[in-house]
Amino acid sequence: MTGEIQKVTTVTTDIDLSERFHLISRFLEGWSIYKKSFLGKIGLILLAVFALMALCSSIPPLIDPMYQPMSGVDPEIFKATGPSIRHWLGTDFMGRDIFSQLLTGARIAFMVGVSAAFMSVFLGTAIGMIAGYTGKFMDTFLMRLADMIMVMPSLLVLLMLAALFGQLSIWFIVFFIALFRWPGVSRVIRAQTLSLKHRPFIEAARVAGASNLRIIFRHIMPNVLPLSFLYMTFQVTSAIIIEAALAFLGFGDPGTVSWGMMLQWVWKTGHMFKAPYWLLPPGICISLITLSFYMLGRAMDEVLDPRLRKEGTTD
Amino acid sequence: MALLVVENLSVGYQTQNGYLHAVEGVSFSLDAGKSLGFVGESGCGKTTLGMAVMRLLPSNGLIREGRILFDGEDLLTKTDEEMRQIRWQEIAMIFQAAMNALNPVHRVIDQITEAIYTHTPSHNKNEAHEQVRALFKFVGLPEDRMRDYPHQYSGGMKQRAIIAMALACKPKLIIADEPTTALDVIVQDQILEETKSLQREFGVSIIYISHDISIVADICHDIGVMYAGQLVEYGAREEVFDNPSHPYTKALLSSYPTLTGEKSQLMPIPGEAPNLINPPFGCRFSDRCTEASVSCKSNPSVWLEITPTHKVLCHQCGKHCGE
Amino acid sequence: MELKRYIGRRLVQIFVIFFVILTVLFLLFRLAPGDPVSRMVDPNLTPEDAALLIKEFGLDQPLLMQYLYYLKNFFTGHFGFSFHYGQPVVQIIWNRLPNTILLFTTSIILSALVGIFLGKIASWHKGEKTDICMTLGALVTHTIFLPWLALIMIWVFAYKLGWFPITGMITVEIWLDPQAGLWTKALDVLYHMTLPLATLFLIHFGSYLLIMRSSMLDTLKEDYILTGRAKGLSEKVIRDHHAAPNAALPVVTSVGLSLAFSINGGALTETVFTWPGIGRELVFSVSHNDYPLAQASFLLIAIVVLLSNLVVDILYAYLDPRIRY
Repeated sequence: MTGEIQKVTTVTTDIDLSERFHLISRFLEGWSIYKKSFLGKIGLILLAVFALMALCSSIPPLIDPMYQPMSGVDPEIFKATGPSIRHWLGTDFMGRDIFSQLLTGARIAFMVGVSAAFMSVFLGTAIGMIAGYTGKFMDTFLMRLADMIMVMPSLLVLLMLAALFGQLSIWFIVFFIALFRWPGVSRVIRAQTLSLKHRPFIEAARVAGASNLRIIFRHIMPNVLPLSFLYMTFQVTSAIIIEAALAFLGFGDPGTVSWGMMLQWVWKTGHMFKAPYWLLPPGICISLITLSFYMLGRAMDEVLDPRLRKEGTTD
Repeated sequence: MALLVVENLSVGYQTQNGYLHAVEGVSFSLDAGKSLGFVGESGCGKTTLGMAVMRLLPSNGLIREGRILFDGEDLLTKTDEEMRQIRWQEIAMIFQAAMNALNPVHRVIDQITEAIYTHTPSHNKNEAHEQVRALFKFVGLPEDRMRDYPHQYSGGMKQRAIIAMALACKPKLIIADEPTTALDVIVQDQILEETKSLQREFGVSIIYISHDISIVADICHDIGVMYAGQLVEYGAREEVFDNPSHPYTKALLSSYPTLTGEKSQLMPIPGEAPNLINPPFGCRFSDRCTEASVSCKSNPSVWLEITPTHKVLCHQCGKHCGE
Repeated sequence: MELKRYIGRRLVQIFVIFFVILTVLFLLFRLAPGDPVSRMVDPNLTPEDAALLIKEFGLDQPLLMQYLYYLKNFFTGHFGFSFHYGQPVVQIIWNRLPNTILLFTTSIILSALVGIFLGKIASWHKGEKTDICMTLGALVTHTIFLPWLALIMIWVFAYKLGWFPITGMITVEIWLDPQAGLWTKALDVLYHMTLPLATLFLIHFGSYLLIMRSSMLDTLKEDYILTGRAKGLSEKVIRDHHAAPNAALPVVTSVGLSLAFSINGGALTETVFTWPGIGRELVFSVSHNDYPLAQASFLLIAIVVLLSNLVVDILYAYLDPRIRY
């Protein structure tokens, strides 16, 4: 009989992060990894440029009211003209300044992207934690709901809402984007919660008599938040794209100047073949801001996922 | 005539923290039809040794020096294409089934016939299938499960299928790397019996790699004990068992129940294996050795021949024997 | 057999999801401000015709009855009359369906196949110039704003270079010509389809390439790859026969997950290229307050998405024996 004694060595990594959560040192450690990512750096630089654009958006109208992105019309120009000293990127069909529209568009993009992403990540994290932690019926119900929402084409649903409720305001759009984007986040958070649920430190907290709410907020949340944060970057991207597409199709908020709206104007007024100075900037901006958030997300992925880090991927 | 002769083989890995000396100056030889077992803790270099013989090291692995003579030809001078021909045709491997060694999307039979077609393209489908049928019979798998996918097999069945696959091209040498780990004891026993009978019936040489010295002793004619990348004791099974000379071998033997079932105190070995990026200059076991002296740590160990077939890498033994 | 049970279960799920969508749409329709009758019935109809339609939709009935009427009408294909076209809605969308399916499926299959193929090559040359170019290219094309890309494509290839038609799906003259054979007509459609197809392809293949690449890199670390090498298989066989079929599985999953996203893009592309599909019809009807047409187009698109999900699931089961058996 050739018996064997298995030498089992369990690696105990079950340290309660929330107890020794040295926020600053973790951040610095993450940053030192992030810095090594070439794409991550480019993404950050691009984002900084867009943020600067958004911040400067209120300056041109102060110089001259004709630089008002929506209502300001150059009194001498009533049609689309090419770039000039007065109008760096030219004017649109009514004689409005394209450059100041572009700056305002950056502000709208950040506003739409960040607020929709924040809401959807908040929803997704909360629902994911609840589904993962309570399990059973609640879990099944919430995850089926998530599946159902995931298969819906969000842009077309928003179109239907526009058909039913008429003109949609920008906050309504933001809110609905958030309502449609949480399922992806909640799946990831649920999986993470499930794996945390049976770790010794959670069991210990339960034995010690901590309430469910306390366990969720004090012990589970700090461990899933970095993931939520990562997902936020990807959500920002999709929110910006959906808003832009909706505006492009002519269902945006008529009171705001977004990049999608600018493209809609070029397209609908038939200037797309005549005015490249007008067609190119908004499209480039939407594509670049998407790209930069995407690169930011990928670089953060490397920080958060040790498997990718060891891999030393070139991207 | 020796089938496989390994001379002074050193293998290392380029890692983020520096160059890791995984195998250092290992020499041994294996006669046709014989079997040789390597034992040691995980990380001692025994798997690297097996992979080096197949020239299947990962991309950061490097054979730094030494010679691997198979049938009198140095495998290290072969081109990749020549080496590809040798693999499985001459030297096959038995992997650990728990390791996901079978491709989940292909049928078991196709994975076995693939090896046959690769090395004997002249075989037609019927011949290959007939061969697989015979192999299945030999390893005790039911024929009607040939066309199953790996996930439909139990752990023991997968292991048998892997053994059948290793025999597909009738190789001269089989390297078995921990084939019974993660199987339950009964299945383990059956697999070991199979390994022994394949050696009897096919006359194939086997290199058997395991962390369990009792398994190796059950199967192999010769035993090599490895520690921290070095071969520390090498000899015929009986000699190593009856007269373990290296302190590490002694500790290994006492940390497992003996073959005869004799009751003795199981002794864990205290301490950890040294870091192989900066291995100690002297004897690598000296930190954990109960018999170590100051000179053990300051001088590199030397080989000592106890009998013509039994060698040990230790200072202290030299003293004892010299007295 | 396992596969049949699996498909059956998925069909039930799809039916339930669709039923929920139907119900939610009904509730929203009732919740929306304004008069439901004026939404469903063209104000230009004669009072008699209008009364007939109101009766058909049960709009004079209590709410629960209306819901039952709504379900009955849906399952018997009564979607009302389009305000704009003045035709039964079902005829219009039935005509548009093949066009959408043609563009949608071709673009998805093409981008998935090319993505898988290029991702495989990129992973094989990991860290080399080929890999870096492909990865960067995929990242950039993948994040371009789709309608804008469509406009640029038209501007460059149709307007400036004149290689392709600017819009539409067919050349009317060719289709009216009695002498034109099927082959000529097919070529004509292909000629019109090139730009929209290229647009959708450019947007989609990048994400499949990136997924395939990282999935390949993971798969190449699997033990069965080592087995393949030990068996003396050539690197090409290992890559194409052992690694790729396993690595492609996550790509198939991602095709399924991104179907909703793809149909969004499909609708945008159809609109810009005036491709006569359901997506464009939906956009058009919403901007022209043609609710019966919008509702039917939306529901049909939902069915298309759900059924293509099923197709992807079956394909996955076909590729992965662990699900099939």
